[in-house]
Amino acid sequence: MKKITIDPITRLEGHGKIEIFLNEDGSVANAYLQIPELRGFEKFCEGRPVEELPRIVTRICGVCPGAHHMASCKATDAVYHVDPPPAAKKLRELFYCAHIIHSHVAHFYALAAPDFVVGPTADPAKRNILGLIDKVGLEVGGEVIKHRAYAQDIQATIGGKATHPVCGLPGGMSKAITEEERQDFEEKAKSLIEFGKFGLKLFDDLVLANKEYLDLITGDIYTMNSYYMGLVDDNNKVSFYEGDIRVVDPEGKEVAKFKAADYLEHIAEHTEPWSYLKFPFLKKVGWKGLVDGKESGVYRVNSLARLNVADGMATPLAQEEYERMYHTLGGKPVHLTLAFHWARLIEILYAAERLLELCQDKEITDPNVRTIPTATPDEGVGMIEAPRGILFHHYRTDDKGIIEKVNLIVATVQNNPAMNMSIKRAAEHLIEKGKEVPEGLLNMVEMAFRAYDPCMACATHALPGQMPLEIIIYDSKGEVVQTLSRFVH
Amino acid sequence: MKTLVLGLGNPILSDDAVGIRVVEELEGKVDQKEVTLVETTVAGLGLLDFLTGYDRAIIIDAIQTVGGQAGRIYRLDPEALDFTRHAASPHDVNLATALELGRRLELSLPQQIIIFAIEVADASTFSEECTPEVRRAIPACVEMIIQEINGEPRSITA
Repeated sequence: MKKITIDPITRLEGHGKIEIFLNEDGSVANAYLQIPELRGFEKFCEGRPVEELPRIVTRICGVCPGAHHMASCKATDAVYHVDPPPAAKKLRELFYCAHIIHSHVAHFYALAAPDFVVGPTADPAKRNILGLIDKVGLEVGGEVIKHRAYAQDIQATIGGKATHPVCGLPGGMSKAITEEERQDFEEKAKSLIEFGKFGLKLFDDLVLANKEYLDLITGDIYTMNSYYMGLVDDNNKVSFYEGDIRVVDPEGKEVAKFKAADYLEHIAEHTEPWSYLKFPFLKKVGWKGLVDGKESGVYRVNSLARLNVADGMATPLAQEEYERMYHTLGGKPVHLTLAFHWARLIEILYAAERLLELCQDKEITDPNVRTIPTATPDEGVGMIEAPRGILFHHYRTDDKGIIEKVNLIVATVQNNPAMNMSIKRAAEHLIEKGKEVPEGLLNMVEMAFRAYDPCMACATHALPGQMPLEIIIYDSKGEVVQTLSRFVH
Repeated sequence: MKTLVLGLGNPILSDDAVGIRVVEELEGKVDQKEVTLVETTVAGLGLLDFLTGYDRAIIIDAIQTVGGQAGRIYRLDPEALDFTRHAASPHDVNLATALELGRRLELSLPQQIIIFAIEVADASTFSEECTPEVRRAIPACVEMIIQEINGEPRSITA
């Protein structure tokens, strides 16, 4: 019998890295975010029937299966030139509202709130959801678990499976919901609205009421004047499931509005030798490097981007909160990266209100949830607002519906240029020449990246249940002067 | 003893799927009524939903360490990963934090949790197949889990 002791702290591979390079005088020269790449997804899909893709893509990562499933369903609708019946679209949107809530709640309470409530430079051992409940009370933890479970139950009932939905098909859904299910969802939606309000109240009391935190949110460290891209409905209100893609410039002026199928006319991808990830940018503005401003085609997606491109929220309570946020932060657009968290809370409330509207829609239990495709399949683009921002699925098939080509543009990649820039800016502000950098300050660098809720779609479920992140600081000769791993404490 | 055997992983990401493959192998080999076999891709807080209501849980997952030998099996208890609880994950909490939260909320979590972690060679290429080294470790891991279920735990390596 042999006993082996392992120490995954210092030994884990496959991690993300933030690398910070210093000048000779010790000031920050550059900062880069590196994320390992998953290989071969497109090839994995080739040769498979396109209708299998909605079920396969849910496995790309354990974090947002619902978003990939829906984007894929919409892409297969487009490939088969089929329009799902109204009840199917509503059911998909209902499912999707629950998905947004489920995802946003985890990010806010487990990742974002501890930075503010426990403190950005607090002991990392306490800067987590456990520290949060120590400070705010155990009942917060109970509310989080309960409402995540509600959102999960709704997804599981419609999706047909607990985590990896199988409900969507080209032309609609595989099954309708019953009146009992509808009533159950309605009760849960009401409770989720209260929980959405609770989150915003918590943010008010613990973040906005604290001048130090408000200064942090509105300060230069976390500001970036970029373009924004997001989905809007017919009235230019925030939409997660369906609508047009709108782009606004750093002054908030609409510069483009387009359908998902035309994405290649608007988005191009730059590559850098040091990164596996691409750097998407607005084609018509052009790539000017990792810089912000009106001349640079760098754009941002995710919660704050969605609110910035829209004229408002389509539900009353969320609309009030939307107005309050812009009033507090000095008008539209808001360029403050930490405000992505606030926008996320407003979206939880919107998603809950929309959920209730859909539950009370007379058509929602209509058994007609599928239009059988009859056209010959060829090519199509599906798009959805994933919790982290716009997600594109583009498929091309032969005339039997067998996949020939797949292209995905995911939200985290679209925020890749902005994440690099935000990290650099935070590092420049926080790292003082020639001084040892305390852990707390490095956490504040990391906060610039965490605001984007990046999903690295990899190793998220290899032990110990997450992907580690390392911050490495190099001097002007390229020697490592400091390393910080999230596990080294 | 009400036991959950929980295989974690991504079924289309090469060796990342090893936890799921082990549970698939266990099906048909484990017939005790009080033992439930489950596969899932979720992590973090989501794991609490699965673990609630059992006296004992055996979790099987992939692990990747620097210079680790592919196919090696580690038997761990959750305390072995306890120090990671403070770490923020890209989108969720880690297992230790999720368990601690569950305990404080007085969820009926298993008294005993054992983790079998299998060292992987490739967990970043999309494929339905594990690599040969990892595939060879599956029968040994299955055997270890059957012994664990029957109350004869051994600390061995493949």
